[in-house]
Amino acid sequence: MANETDVTRRRFLGLAGKAGLATFAARAIGVNTGLIEVLSAATKSGMQPFSFAIITDSHLFSADNHRFDRALADAVNQVNALTPAVDFVMYTGDIAQNGREDQLLKGKKILSALKAPLKVIPGEHDWYLDMGKVWNGLFGKETWSFDHKGVHFIGLNSILVRDFWSGTGMTPLERMSTMEMLESPVAGPWGVRDAQLEFLRKDVKRLGASTPVVIFTHSPLWDYYPRWNFQTEDAPQIREILSKFDHVTSLHGHVHQTVYNKFGNMSSAGSLSTSWPWPYPPVKLDYPGSQMNQSDPANTKDGMGTQSVSFDASGATATYEPFANSLTPFLKDGLKV
Amino acid sequence: MKSTKRKAYLAVGAASIGLLGALSIWARPPFTDAQLADQQQQLLDVVNKGRDLWHGSNPQMSGNGLACGNCHPDAAASNPQSFPKWVSEIGSVAPMRDMINWCIVHPQGGQALDPDGSDMIALEAYAFYLYRGQKIEPGLAVPTPPDPVKSGVGYPHKGSGIGFDK
Repeated sequence: MANETDVTRRRFLGLAGKAGLATFAARAIGVNTGLIEVLSAATKSGMQPFSFAIITDSHLFSADNHRFDRALADAVNQVNALTPAVDFVMYTGDIAQNGREDQLLKGKKILSALKAPLKVIPGEHDWYLDMGKVWNGLFGKETWSFDHKGVHFIGLNSILVRDFWSGTGMTPLERMSTMEMLESPVAGPWGVRDAQLEFLRKDVKRLGASTPVVIFTHSPLWDYYPRWNFQTEDAPQIREILSKFDHVTSLHGHVHQTVYNKFGNMSSAGSLSTSWPWPYPPVKLDYPGSQMNQSDPANTKDGMGTQSVSFDASGATATYEPFANSLTPFLKDGLKV
Repeated sequence: MKSTKRKAYLAVGAASIGLLGALSIWARPPFTDAQLADQQQQLLDVVNKGRDLWHGSNPQMSGNGLACGNCHPDAAASNPQSFPKWVSEIGSVAPMRDMINWCIVHPQGGQALDPDGSDMIALEAYAFYLYRGQKIEPGLAVPTPPDPVKSGVGYPHKGSGIGFDK
């Protein structure tokens, strides 16, 4: 749970309330009248406040002592220093830059310094050199769910593309290089695909409508900017499956920037990376206050950082924890929702 | 007197006819469609070379693996239409090529390019091409993102049609 007396911390998703929205995850915590034992047991006795942290998009290269290695280590230290301590840490993809084993191993080693348990989903930079073989070996299954203190958490692999390499003579390295280019014309849109949609259907079937649900994907579950794969092709199906819930919180990586959106029963927030910030695409958003300041290229920490999300009986609050002074006053002074 | 005047008129007329004849020889004929297409292709070839350089095809430009495209996909936030302008990193009013070299040397940890070399021309051609149609506005403080999809360069992905409640 975030320290609410610390005025230096930025409460990002408070902007939702400031913008006149009802709340972000306003109904995330409540009496569970649903069907699942573990959730009803937790919520009947009242909400036990907790928080978790998000680290994402470290894009580690193979070179020793690369500045991105230090940035990830800084993120680990920042998360370890959060007070109260987080219950777990979520990593939402792109540990590596080129999907190489040494890069993934280096990331795992740096992340092993986290005091809290780590949950991970992959990004495209982790995956397309060997189609996730090393990643799976190091981090386990990429599709999962668990319940924690009355909240249902889901992780999906959203970077699956249609086969563009078979029959082209493309080497694994060429396939990886193709996926590395954000605006690549070749790879096409990402998605979670049928098997994970089926997993999701079965996974949430047992849950009641009031169950707070948090879903993690690498890419956003809305059409932010499809050209840069700031989208997930089968997000409409995901949202349909999750439509029975009062409120769903979608948290994603990939965009390397602060961004917020709300649609239907879903609130969505992007995460700061630890590697580099991306400029905002030519998209007009309904929440202009959700954009951070243009980053200073001479400041290697500007526009980067981590996030923390706190749950208590009044709802959920996501807070950006930038390495440098990157946030607008609107983001810094956002309200608790 | 009349004879002298007539001779002068004849001389001027002859000179005019001679000048017109000369011009008809010296004047360049209009470019043919094939020539224009070739010239445009020459430009696009350089733009495409610039796109490859922007995404890391010259190892000299990076000492840490980073390329221009890491931070500037589709040349976003490079704003070629705003140069020359004051560049705080350089401490003077500078053309875009100086900013490109600053990025190569600092965030990318590479070696600066010859500012007049073909690689630099290609990088500039790529960025300027993506921003074609944008108003030239030196010193523009607010970044204007390119819209390469609308402008016809690039490869739009069809979205799933969701994301905005209205």
